[in-house]
Amino acid sequence: MEAFFLPAGPGRTGNRFGLCHRAQGPVRGGVLYLHPFAEEMNKARRMAALQARALAADGWTVLLLDLAGCGDSSGDFADASWADWQADVSLGLAWLRQQVDGPVWAWGLRAGGLLAAQAAAAPDGPDHLLLWQPPASGRLLLQQFLRMRAAADMLDGGGKGVVDGLRQQLAQGQAVEVAGYTVSPGLALGLDAATMAAPAGRAGQLHWLEVAADAGALSPVAERGVAAWQAAGWQVQAEVVSGPAFWQTTEIETAPALLARSTAALAAACPRQAQAA
Amino acid sequence: MSSVHPHAGTPVRPAQVLADSHHPRPAAGDSPVPNTASAAMAGDAPTGSTAPVDDVLMIPCQGEPMLGLLSRAPQPAGTAVLVIVGGPQYRVGAHRQYVLLARSLAALGWPTLRCDVRGMGDSGGVARDFNHLHDDITAAIDGLCQALPEVRRVVLWGLCDGASAALMYWQASGDARVAGLCLANPWLRSDASEARTRVKHYYLQRLTQPDFWRKLLRGGIGLGAVTGLAQQVGAATQRGDAAPGAGLDFRQRMAQAWRRFPGPVLLMLSGRDFTAKEFLDGVQRDEAWRGALQRSGLTRLDRPQADHTFSAPADHQALTEAVARWLQASFGQDTPSPATATTTGAQP
Repeated sequence: MEAFFLPAGPGRTGNRFGLCHRAQGPVRGGVLYLHPFAEEMNKARRMAALQARALAADGWTVLLLDLAGCGDSSGDFADASWADWQADVSLGLAWLRQQVDGPVWAWGLRAGGLLAAQAAAAPDGPDHLLLWQPPASGRLLLQQFLRMRAAADMLDGGGKGVVDGLRQQLAQGQAVEVAGYTVSPGLALGLDAATMAAPAGRAGQLHWLEVAADAGALSPVAERGVAAWQAAGWQVQAEVVSGPAFWQTTEIETAPALLARSTAALAAACPRQAQAA
Repeated sequence: MSSVHPHAGTPVRPAQVLADSHHPRPAAGDSPVPNTASAAMAGDAPTGSTAPVDDVLMIPCQGEPMLGLLSRAPQPAGTAVLVIVGGPQYRVGAHRQYVLLARSLAALGWPTLRCDVRGMGDSGGVARDFNHLHDDITAAIDGLCQALPEVRRVVLWGLCDGASAALMYWQASGDARVAGLCLANPWLRSDASEARTRVKHYYLQRLTQPDFWRKLLRGGIGLGAVTGLAQQVGAATQRGDAAPGAGLDFRQRMAQAWRRFPGPVLLMLSGRDFTAKEFLDGVQRDEAWRGALQRSGLTRLDRPQADHTFSAPADHQALTEAVARWLQASFGQDTPSPATATTTGAQP
């Protein structure tokens, strides 16, 4: 693996930390990992690393990119905006396209999936999408995140109306602090507005994978999301695999079934080209 | 599009260089980025600069690569800090606390390394618990000293089981390079201590609440709850839980290190933290820890409102400042003072 800092690019400040696992053997293409929000990123890092290694072994050059103010990237989380993160997705895709020929996937976990889906609308967007646990909407994720502050406040005897109060603060242009993360309005409102809507005008492959203790059927909400992407022309495979919700478990946990399924899905979608003689 | 920092992916010097630590292919027209090293503000490259913030170290440990990020100081330093990352985290820490801490300390003159141990984050190998980090810590200290040849003294910084691992590393190795210990909310749990702490802090609170007694008298407290309490109290009053002949358990090893470590120790405790309460309970109760809190060379920081990871920005700031002050007081005479004496900490 190689680790380095990419300059954020023209008109932007700072660097983004990137970790690259190079493809072994004939190269199928590239994969850009887009991590989830706040502490979910930390908890999921091990799974991301394991998946990246598995994909690299199977012919993919994988870039794990830390978004602005996240992970090892420069700057503060408090200074990051959703627009910054969207620009970081473009940065990562462009870097991968310089490294490999062949299709480039955006692989997003939770909030990272929202970024991946939004990027799919752009001409320089990803060719295909691998989404792990796509959220119903960014609004729901933000709500879950703000509720953590409500839970903490409840232990202090507060709790009522906390989430509404935080939303008001954000609407008035003030950052809010939850569980050690200072979230700017530019980030929160961007997340709030993000949806899993299918883009018009472009289509590729979409692998929609969810993880549950009992691998069963997709939820009705997920089914509707999948149907919308199919209606927009995307080839969709959707599945629930068995495993722990590793992005939120107390201890670091892994979901081997998800690793295997994801590697197989990408291999099936993009067979290796025969090497030139 | 890519940037090539002279140190990005540069392997640690000695023989076991990793074969795959080569530089990414730069895009046509890119020139290598100079290492400006003089970061005025922790965590932020100066506006318009593309200077990378930290150096990447790939540190071999028993044949597996450990990924470490080294925040360099503006000038060479004789003392450096190694953050021992406990589970369940990886090298950036909860709410990026290790990133912020490392960059703040480095800007003040204390180079700081934070590393994924084997099986954690991006490192190779199999996941392990805090009792088995000896080789990882050895390798990390080796890697730090090789990357910074002027470093003679290493301070181990650990939170929770990271703090426990730091103590146990010194107990097992007697590594003379370890010059100081920063220990935040050290992990000292046993079944007995967990039960005791729960009884002391939760159940006793319940006994003072009128609605508990009303419920009890009305018969609203089920047999399960009562038995549960009885079990907790029973566990709490057990004496010692190490099996005879089992060898030293982690708590005993920690106690030994605490007693024998000759250098300065900074102890940081959060007021709103079960682990910290357990630690205080354990050191006050167990014979092995007699006099621990009166230890010479001990500096103690108490933050009554802080949670386990000092997550509130004000608590993180206080922790960073306390560590910086303690480093200056303990090792400042050996290291050039930085030009500015102000702590940067988390930026508004």
